[in-house]
Amino acid sequence: MQLNEFQERFKALMLDNPKALDTPPEELAQFCKADSITLPTRLKVYRNNIVGSLTDMLKTTFPTIEALVGEQFFEMLARSFILQHPPSKGVLSHYGDGMDAFIKEFELAKSLPYLPDIATYEIAKNHSYHAADDLPLTTEQLAAVPIEDLDTLHIGLRAYVFLVASKYPLTAIEEFCKNKKTDETLNLDQGGESLMVFRSSLDTKTDILAKDEFEFLRQLSEGASLGEATETVLSHHPDFNIQAVLQKHLALETFRAL
Amino acid sequence: MTGHTIHTNEAVHTYGPFPPASRPSEPVGIGLRYPHYQEVLETDLELGWLEVHPENYFGGGAHRHFLSEARKTYNLSLHAVGLSLGSDEPVSEEHLRGFKELIDIYQPFNVSDHASWSASGNAHLNDLLPMPYTQESLDKLARNIETTQEYFGRTILVENPSTYLAFEGNEMHEDEFMNRIAEMTGCGILLDLNNIYVQAHNHGYDAWSYIDTIDARHVGEMHLAGHIEQDADDGVILIDTHSRPVKGDVWDLYAHAVRKFGVAPTLIEWDTDIPDLKTLVGEADKARAIIADIGAESLAHAAE
Repeated sequence: MQLNEFQERFKALMLDNPKALDTPPEELAQFCKADSITLPTRLKVYRNNIVGSLTDMLKTTFPTIEALVGEQFFEMLARSFILQHPPSKGVLSHYGDGMDAFIKEFELAKSLPYLPDIATYEIAKNHSYHAADDLPLTTEQLAAVPIEDLDTLHIGLRAYVFLVASKYPLTAIEEFCKNKKTDETLNLDQGGESLMVFRSSLDTKTDILAKDEFEFLRQLSEGASLGEATETVLSHHPDFNIQAVLQKHLALETFRAL
Repeated sequence: MTGHTIHTNEAVHTYGPFPPASRPSEPVGIGLRYPHYQEVLETDLELGWLEVHPENYFGGGAHRHFLSEARKTYNLSLHAVGLSLGSDEPVSEEHLRGFKELIDIYQPFNVSDHASWSASGNAHLNDLLPMPYTQESLDKLARNIETTQEYFGRTILVENPSTYLAFEGNEMHEDEFMNRIAEMTGCGILLDLNNIYVQAHNHGYDAWSYIDTIDARHVGEMHLAGHIEQDADDGVILIDTHSRPVKGDVWDLYAHAVRKFGVAPTLIEWDTDIPDLKTLVGEADKARAIIADIGAESLAHAAE
């Protein structure tokens, strides 16, 4: 068997359903050696390494999901995800992207409608942690822009800034899972959250933003100029205080250097 | 989730410059892993060097801060797990690019990956999968090693993997395969003693004769790690978990290798169920003690 054919067949078997390993296809079985340790046992070592290591990785990225559904359910969810969406490259820092969409379609998770949004939030935290380093916009830099140019100025967000909005109280759910006490319940109808995920002191942090503030940052991140973003936000939130929001986020270093 | 539709990668913080790579004067190192980041920076450790998987530092991010701080004190070996050198298909250029960026910044004294494969078509299976030991495999592996060495402008080391599966079509044994790949490409061999022990048990081969076959000129680094024994069918299969202390038999094999090859930079690997730093450094101390004993032994022989 040529290397190409062997690798294709081996890969297909590793991503097949678990029972397939008990009766490997004849061509592959003839190509492999086995003795007192049978071929299925040998193949299962690889299968367990692959699924086990990727499951551990997903547990690190989605701790709140695991806390919400329990370890056993999470491992089943992870296995389904891994077999249907194996990594496509050798760098795995973003592995788990697409988990939110996957959960949305996962029949057994449909009774927990907030799960996909929790997954989106945890994906954002993971991306933020691994985002490239860039430089912040400083007050001096902004002050150097001629006043007549401010309206058309484009300000981007730092690579580690991610905006997540949900009709569920995502950080309240996260906190609840971290300090899990069995005699407490969480009110899921307390309203949604508009979140900014970012990095501070080398770890990710989350701030709950006001609706107008969130909308403003979202506009900027999508390429609106300062003037356009302000106008759009003001049309929905007449009390929007751009001065205060700019000051706060210059201090937080939310904006990328010009 | 929104953001970064117009993201550019300019204005990146530059780390370094770091001192040029030098072969560590102390031969034994440990893997730098997330749970120990802060402690490694704050503790005065008797270690020659640190090893990391470059894949965890691609593209930037918070991890790089710790690596940069650690690099100020320690020499570094970049030990990759993602090049998939043994794939039928060529090495990913994206992967080479990310890797090269780290080499340029961090100036490692050694750069390595494995004689195994992970990628096939659209899937990267995140394990070090076995190759049949044939001329075709040698040719494909050699092509990928040569591409990598050309891209990096330096030779790399290639590690013998732990294997659980062998092939009817094998045309040579792994020890000979490793020698030949080194001769074909000029790459060095990263000799993992635990992997030799594990595969020897799993395929009924003699680990000591494996060491005896390997050509001393090629050995550029050694690795040590713990494995587990798992009851299976009518026997026991050994699994390379990097989750335990190094076993006694593997220490013996290491001593045999040091006697034959001399002292090479040696890494203690521990990647799951990671212990406290003291335990990990304790394993490094054991390796140093073996090297010291053998040094004393060879001096005694010289005096005879």
